Amino acid sequence: MTRQTKEIIIQYIFLLFALVSVLVLGLIVFSLFREGLPLFTSVSVKDFLFGKEWYPTYDPPSFGIFPLVVGSLIVTLIATLIAVPLGVMAAIYISEIAPQRIKEILKSVIELLAGLPSVVLGFFGMVIVAPWLQETFDLPTGLNIINASVILAIMAIPTISSISEDALYAVPREFKEASYALGATKFETIAQVIVPAALSGISTAVMLGMARAVGETMVVLMVAGGAAAIPESLFDPVRPMPASIAAEMGETPYGSAHYQALFAIGMVLFFLTLAFNLIADYVSHKFRQTGSATL
Amino acid sequence: MKNLKNHSMRWRYFKQNVFFVLVRASALVITLALGGILLYILANGISVISWDFITKPPTDSMTKGGIMPAILGTIYLTIGAIAIGLPLGIASAVYLTEYARQGRVIRLIKVGINCLAGVPSVVFGLFGLGFFVIFLKFGSSILSGSLTLGFLILPTIIGASEEALKAVPQTFREASLSLGVSKWQTIYRIVLPNALPGILTGSILGIGRAAGETAPIMFTAAAYFTAKLPGSVFDEVMALPYHIYVLATAGTNIEATRPIQFGTVLVLVAVVLGIDLIAILIRGSMRRNKRW
Amino acid sequence: MEAGDIISVNRVNFYYGAVRALTDISMTFKKNKVTALIGPSGCGKSTLLRLLNRMNELIDATKVEGEILFEGRNIYAPDVDPVEIRRKIGMVFQKPNPFPKTIHNNISYGPKLTGTSVADMDALVEQSLKQAVLWDEVKDILNKSAMNLSGGQQQRLCIARALAMKPDILLMDEPTSALDPISTAKIEELIEELKENYTIIIVTHNMQQAARVSDETAFFYLGNLIEYNKTEKIFTKPDVKQTEDYITGRFG
Repeated sequence: MTRQTKEIIIQYIFLLFALVSVLVLGLIVFSLFREGLPLFTSVSVKDFLFGKEWYPTYDPPSFGIFPLVVGSLIVTLIATLIAVPLGVMAAIYISEIAPQRIKEILKSVIELLAGLPSVVLGFFGMVIVAPWLQETFDLPTGLNIINASVILAIMAIPTISSISEDALYAVPREFKEASYALGATKFETIAQVIVPAALSGISTAVMLGMARAVGETMVVLMVAGGAAAIPESLFDPVRPMPASIAAEMGETPYGSAHYQALFAIGMVLFFLTLAFNLIADYVSHKFRQTGSATL
Repeated sequence: MKNLKNHSMRWRYFKQNVFFVLVRASALVITLALGGILLYILANGISVISWDFITKPPTDSMTKGGIMPAILGTIYLTIGAIAIGLPLGIASAVYLTEYARQGRVIRLIKVGINCLAGVPSVVFGLFGLGFFVIFLKFGSSILSGSLTLGFLILPTIIGASEEALKAVPQTFREASLSLGVSKWQTIYRIVLPNALPGILTGSILGIGRAAGETAPIMFTAAAYFTAKLPGSVFDEVMALPYHIYVLATAGTNIEATRPIQFGTVLVLVAVVLGIDLIAILIRGSMRRNKRW
Repeated sequence: MEAGDIISVNRVNFYYGAVRALTDISMTFKKNKVTALIGPSGCGKSTLLRLLNRMNELIDATKVEGEILFEGRNIYAPDVDPVEIRRKIGMVFQKPNPFPKTIHNNISYGPKLTGTSVADMDALVEQSLKQAVLWDEVKDILNKSAMNLSGGQQQRLCIARALAMKPDILLMDEPTSALDPISTAKIEELIEELKENYTIIIVTHNMQQAARVSDETAFFYLGNLIEYNKTEKIFTKPDVKQTEDYITGRFG
């Protein structure tokens, strides 16, 4: 074997390794479809997605996931509303304003926050936030939308903040200098030059933060309250999709309609987060920050 | 005229000061959230921690005793995840940074990795259940759990490795190739050794994540309670994150086992953040001592 | 090719993507001579140098047309292994680029990995370092990291590293542009000594350097070879007006 053939073989071996990620993604789809699709022989897609009743263990069972979808979307939305301002502002502080030492510390803080296991945050929400909410607002339960949203926001902040910070950092120095040279204040430079130039990166950060929140399981499993009903107030409990899967999979016989329905929820969740990620990917490529091309 | 100018200047600085207060407050809120959570867990958990707690199995239907099997299980699963994720991740990154040229295949692989990174952990759990546990008949086991966690951390490791490989100066590769050393030997002898410290510290952050995840192992590896320690990779194990979930939501006496719950949370946080902190510190010192 | 020629470039065009960087270059390099390639930035001189050992292939989306003959074969023929070519045609880069290894291992790296049978590696290391006039400075610290050396020492180490492969040709890409004047003088002396045994092709920005060290000089402008002749002739009475303008500093 000549050296050139050997080199080519090595290159193809590495290509195979690199394709494993794509393969796993394919296997995920395969597994979800294999276990989940049979449900639709007995339940129509419309009844599944828009049915308002999730009674999987009743006889006859009812597999409408609409309340679960609403639950997922509402906690994600509120978590985003909390996490985006905090995360983006912290990113601005870190990248543009903070002195070097504080910058280092804050970056570590955000990295450690990202490292906190979700079960720990769920536990915190359950043991601390829930009783406090219940007492303060005199509620029947402290495990509800607002609690889950706050904890989810804590989980999404590191994603939003670190990706936004990268985007802000990548804004060319010349832009800032040009703005200062025209007599703009630091705030004006940040608001009118730096943030607009980094906007595609910040949008990506927000999309990825939302994807993280909508797919997060342990927090919503432990603190969202678990009621599979369409909520009427922010203090109502909900049962987001991941919570339903995690809570019910253990008690479901393999191959039953309920089991299939949980995989079908997994499909919905997978494609929902896939959409978030593809949008984020599209935004970051379409509006890529390439030097002065963004302004 | 001068007055007017002063007035407008003052207004501009007023806006700036309000903004600065807001961004500082945001940073402060985040820091306090982390600090508050950690301190609260430390304060409530520290009294439970003892040598026995860490080295003894649970007793009396998990209302007393230690958490040794859960610690051990988490260690096994994490090592398994590293064994799967690290070689695959490094090899993928080598392809992407050293071999790949712009084109469709690369775009496909990169989008694939990004999408994989975004797959929710509970969906990884379903995948592990559907594919490893049922389709490949590995059962609920260390093997199934490790594979699931290994693929979960794969994108993180690829990202860290890519960054470390790109940080190796191009001039090193040129020097080696110009001597008539083949591409593979250049990668193996020059590029990888110089990138390895960076790859490892970056990957540690992914490893911390593997140790702390619950949803992916719930249906693939984790046992509610096992009296005996695992004998092979086909056995179920207890694991710290799942143990916390079980005790806090489905234990025999939730209120009475609160101290044990806090103790377990403290151990898990110490393990995960300990791993992360080591990575952060090594990275910091590496940056300071960088020769190239 | 005539006797005394070692490598010959034949109607070569080179493209970065759609941009043509070299236009129809034909020239022949003489054995055991120093040939200098000069011209303003972006004229294609470094590009041509990197074509001679196929280092241009490290950059994506490049294309070569024409042929480069070395030992009677076109080095761009499909069956030629670039790795083989690079063993015979060594290169020294603009910035010193020693590996973060010991001095000894920097030198032995190439011979070891290319499977060259070396009876006595220590002797080869010593010989290469002596050829690069570095031996006396480093003989007691061979097992120390090469990163501790000064810039000029590092560059001589890189030359020694290339010499350890016993190449036929040594390509030098502005080897002194990152060095102080004293180190530069040492490298220039070294080039003078090396040409007894090696063919040297050097790209330089510095016209005095070209005049001092080279036997032949080629002047490039905008990807074209404008004039190629004896150094003395180029610097005293060039045939082409553009060459004269450049060497007298009227542009560049």
